[in-house]
Amino acid sequence: MKVLVANRGEIACRILKTLREMGIPSVAVHSDGDGDALHVDLADEVAALAAPSGYLDAPLLIETARRLSADAVHPGYGFLSQSAPFAEACRAAGLTFIGPSPEAMRLLGDKRGARRTAEECGLPVIPGASECDTLESARRAAYAIGYPVLIKAAGGGGGKGMRLVGDDGALAEAFAAARREAEVAFADPRLLVEKYLAPARHVEAQILGDGREAVALGERECSLQRRYQKVIEEAPSPGIPESTRRALLDAAVTLARKAKYASAGTVEFLVGPGGEHFFLEVNTRLQVEHPVTELLTGVDIVAAQVELALGGRLPEPPTPRGHAIEARLNAEDPHRGFLPSSGPVLMLDWPSRPWLRVDSGIRQGQEVRPDYDPLLAKLIAWGASREQARRRLVEALRDLTLLGVATNQAFLIQVLESEEFRRGETYTSTLEARRWPLPEVPAEAVAAARRALATRPAEGAGDGGVAADRHSPWQEPDGSGRLVP
Amino acid sequence: MKFEIAVRNGRRFRLAVARTSQGVWIGWPGGAKYFGPERAEAAAAGAAQAEVRAPMTGRVVAVPVLSGQTVLAGEVLVILQAMKMEYRLTAPGPGVVDTIHCAPGEMVDLGAVLVTMAPVPEPEAATVASPARARPRRRARQR
Repeated sequence: MKVLVANRGEIACRILKTLREMGIPSVAVHSDGDGDALHVDLADEVAALAAPSGYLDAPLLIETARRLSADAVHPGYGFLSQSAPFAEACRAAGLTFIGPSPEAMRLLGDKRGARRTAEECGLPVIPGASECDTLESARRAAYAIGYPVLIKAAGGGGGKGMRLVGDDGALAEAFAAARREAEVAFADPRLLVEKYLAPARHVEAQILGDGREAVALGERECSLQRRYQKVIEEAPSPGIPESTRRALLDAAVTLARKAKYASAGTVEFLVGPGGEHFFLEVNTRLQVEHPVTELLTGVDIVAAQVELALGGRLPEPPTPRGHAIEARLNAEDPHRGFLPSSGPVLMLDWPSRPWLRVDSGIRQGQEVRPDYDPLLAKLIAWGASREQARRRLVEALRDLTLLGVATNQAFLIQVLESEEFRRGETYTSTLEARRWPLPEVPAEAVAAARRALATRPAEGAGDGGVAADRHSPWQEPDGSGRLVP
Repeated sequence: MKFEIAVRNGRRFRLAVARTSQGVWIGWPGGAKYFGPERAEAAAAGAAQAEVRAPMTGRVVAVPVLSGQTVLAGEVLVILQAMKMEYRLTAPGPGVVDTIHCAPGEMVDLGAVLVTMAPVPEPEAATVASPARARPRRRARQR
């Protein structure tokens, strides 16, 4: 067996590492300009894809897999991971798609199909309308359920193609933008409209199925989000009643059985302050935050996906142990509206400490490009208690050095140290509900900057060997580049 | 690229230093920042001429204005896309679109001038003094 990993970044690295551990030969792919990426070095063979959108080019990926005699394709998350037509095309080409069957994806992975399936299973579903392909139909749906509403892409997640709309006047523009984003991110412009609920926790159940039976590996709470993208995730959830936890996990298993689900997946719910819960959607793929569950259960979810794709049976669900928290390190500036940043990674030193896992997709010298998702790495800490895991993660983030690209490092520490987080009062609105002060720059850092700037670097290049500052995200929009503070 | 040791109140901590061609990145426990050279003349020039610059490297999705068009504060000048998200650059105040320096589909670098603005001809109109910033679409909810 040989597996082609149709992805990039940290998730391609993470999958390739498990494949190597399992003794399975692997193929990495990379687009134009991504040839220096870290994942390329972790595979036995490598193939180039033309254009930055190569990771979305289904025919090219399948042709590449056949040319290099791969037997299976692991899609990772994002890109084509939730595309039933891609899973079908793999099957037609004689390739094993490491994920659920196209039929299960249509039932659950498609947000429209999932709503119907959940209703058939008697799950409480969030009010909304699943067929909103024209502005008129979206307007009718929004009128029927009442503003505020969320517009969502039917074909994928990760906050792309998603817009919160407060009133009718804002609908047309939000609809057009969501459609464009969905087209770019998932090659699928279909949209749906849902009621926006707040305050609410985002809680999800990790499931594994073998086509006959299904088990839940526990829940994760992922309420802390900005722009509908999760920033910090943890397990177990710090704030739901035991009866709610039980009900969510049971509902997730019911859905998985109904769809004869044969892979790893995640069933997402919104939980209100009183424990009332609504089914949201199913992610029929590996989830970004899966390591949180891996640390609690000891199950390698990627290895389980590979085994289930080969027709293996379910593992016994282990008893979760302790607490795990994950922080997503993004190339973005939280204090400038989370604007993405790009540029060369000039200096990189990952933390290494007991009970810490770092899933990274970058290395020193590499260029962070604006073509892809801003996720650079995930830091995940385990503790016997939530507080212990929290302290370990904060210390890990303090140990991290990453220069050359603006990141949310200081913001992550702020959030983990905040009263809201310590008390476990985490809702989907928490991060955007208040201002986060600019992190204090130590006087010693300013002094070091002045010393460094007093001596000119070598002609034409800095320490990183970068000819110009064209990509460095330092410039304020006014171009003044003043020494601050 | 190097590490330096700083001491405060008898406690040691590490600083990371990486020069670029014009400035320097400094990292400290828990954070990092870019320090550019002092450029007072650039700040002064920015105030005199309103240039709407790209706040990030990305692709131009749309330019919903025409040169010569009068715009109100907050009107969308350019829609940029990076890392699969869209960002709108809006007019910081009322003004006239003088020159458009970008076109849909084009990749633009951070700091590139995308639109030059001119003041509204009426003497009582507020002049455009500060450049636009990209703002996420849901800014109203963010704060």
